[in-house]
Amino acid sequence: MDYEKTGEERRVSEISRDHRDTRERFEEPPSGTQGTPASGMRVENLSAYYGSFKAITDVSLDIQANKVTAIIGPSGCGKSTFIRCLNRLHEVVPGARAEGSVMLGEQNIYGKNTDPVNIRRRIGMVFQKPNPFSKSVYENVAWGARINGYRGDMDELVERSLRQAALWDEVKDRLKESGLGLSGGQQQRLCIARTLAVEPEVILMDEPASALDPVSTQKIEDTMDELKQSYTVVIVTHNMQQAARISDYTGFFYIENMGDPGRLWEFDDTEKMFSNPDRKETEDYVTGRFG
Amino acid sequence: MPRETFQQELDELIGEVLDLGTEVEGSLENTVKAMETRDARIAEKELGVDIHYKARGAEIERDCMILQARQAPVARDLRLLYTVQSVTNHLVRSGTLTEHICHAIVDTAGCERDEDLEATLTEMARTARNIFGEGLDIFKNRDIERARNLQAKDDKVDLLYSEALNLIANPSDGGGGAPEWRMRAALIVHYLERISDHGVDIGGSTVFLVTGERIEDAMQQYLERNIDQDEE
Repeated sequence: MDYEKTGEERRVSEISRDHRDTRERFEEPPSGTQGTPASGMRVENLSAYYGSFKAITDVSLDIQANKVTAIIGPSGCGKSTFIRCLNRLHEVVPGARAEGSVMLGEQNIYGKNTDPVNIRRRIGMVFQKPNPFSKSVYENVAWGARINGYRGDMDELVERSLRQAALWDEVKDRLKESGLGLSGGQQQRLCIARTLAVEPEVILMDEPASALDPVSTQKIEDTMDELKQSYTVVIVTHNMQQAARISDYTGFFYIENMGDPGRLWEFDDTEKMFSNPDRKETEDYVTGRFG
Repeated sequence: MPRETFQQELDELIGEVLDLGTEVEGSLENTVKAMETRDARIAEKELGVDIHYKARGAEIERDCMILQARQAPVARDLRLLYTVQSVTNHLVRSGTLTEHICHAIVDTAGCERDEDLEATLTEMARTARNIFGEGLDIFKNRDIERARNLQAKDDKVDLLYSEALNLIANPSDGGGGAPEWRMRAALIVHYLERISDHGVDIGGSTVFLVTGERIEDAMQQYLERNIDQDEE
């Protein structure tokens, strides 16, 4: 891929292509719950930079379809950078770039003819802090689907997305109220519903519960089992027990020496990572001996 | 190092287990002495230890449960708590069996005995004591190489077990001792064989603690290693 344009140049070109992409997406088959099965991802020799600073280096792993993959590691080890590389969000930071290969199914998301906007529709993202639009609950969910040219029953899509995000029962009578009036936990689930509404194949979550109370956290975690039936989920978390509870696979990112880029230190079944990891650093981290 | 309090609690827990192990080992040592010297008074001192060991075991189990609830251990910490519970169970069971043997010694103090059978029982008791002590030492020092050899030492106990049962089933010309004693001897043989197995299992648990390798896998490796040695 070796994308060489600056972040700003890319944003301009993406916007100019957006209209065309929307028209193309009219013809695309839907994915997620209603259409094609979730795709897995294959990451090979991925490195990411902020200007001359190399944030992560030589990351290779397979992200299995319809599974939850957790990414753990100490602060600053490149977890969020990695996950942002998976849907080409990393490159929107000025001066940021990535090298290597990231396959979504059979498509290299960094291929020359690959449109990053389309990739971000197929690979949705939920961020650390809930960021609903200043719109009604209904519009928060419907908006993304609408601008992507969704032509089905919008009411049905909104309800289905909210149900999948375990929020429907709490908001079904306040769909016209502002999404900003919901609690933090509800707002985050609204953001999940918003992501689901565009029917992605993969959902990336960057510490989705770190700003939430335990009950809201539990509700987010409870949605995971259902989400992975239809989607591939990758979640960055600082909460080790959360990773152990909800994920099928876990990747541990680690920086060996200060100033070095982050590396994928160990990747395995979650069961193995939390019972008998192969590497001492992984064991020290998951047992709380550092980090 | 973060989690200093947790580490301190784990260290204290291991200390409790080792203390319990030392006490059970002491009871076993007295049992051997009672058999070697035919002194039922030594065995008598061990009557009642079972309830004490069970209470200690219950305390350790409770501590493990609290640590799991409070500290959410994973990886080596989780293996440690699992192993502590497993080892504690082996210790308590060994303590119970030791008291059973002492009861048998006390109850049959005045009975006539078969010398060959008695010598076999005493040798079996010494071997079981040694294996139990070695299992405990392996746990204390995490010396898993010795654990892998402990099974071989247990073979001697199995051999003595067969020999003792043969003597019980086929008494010597002298009559084989009083029937009550022979009946109790059959039970003692079984108890000693179990104590020896508990010692082996403590060593096997240590393998799991250190490597995460299941005990069964460790035994399989042992068996496979014997085949290799035979081939050489």
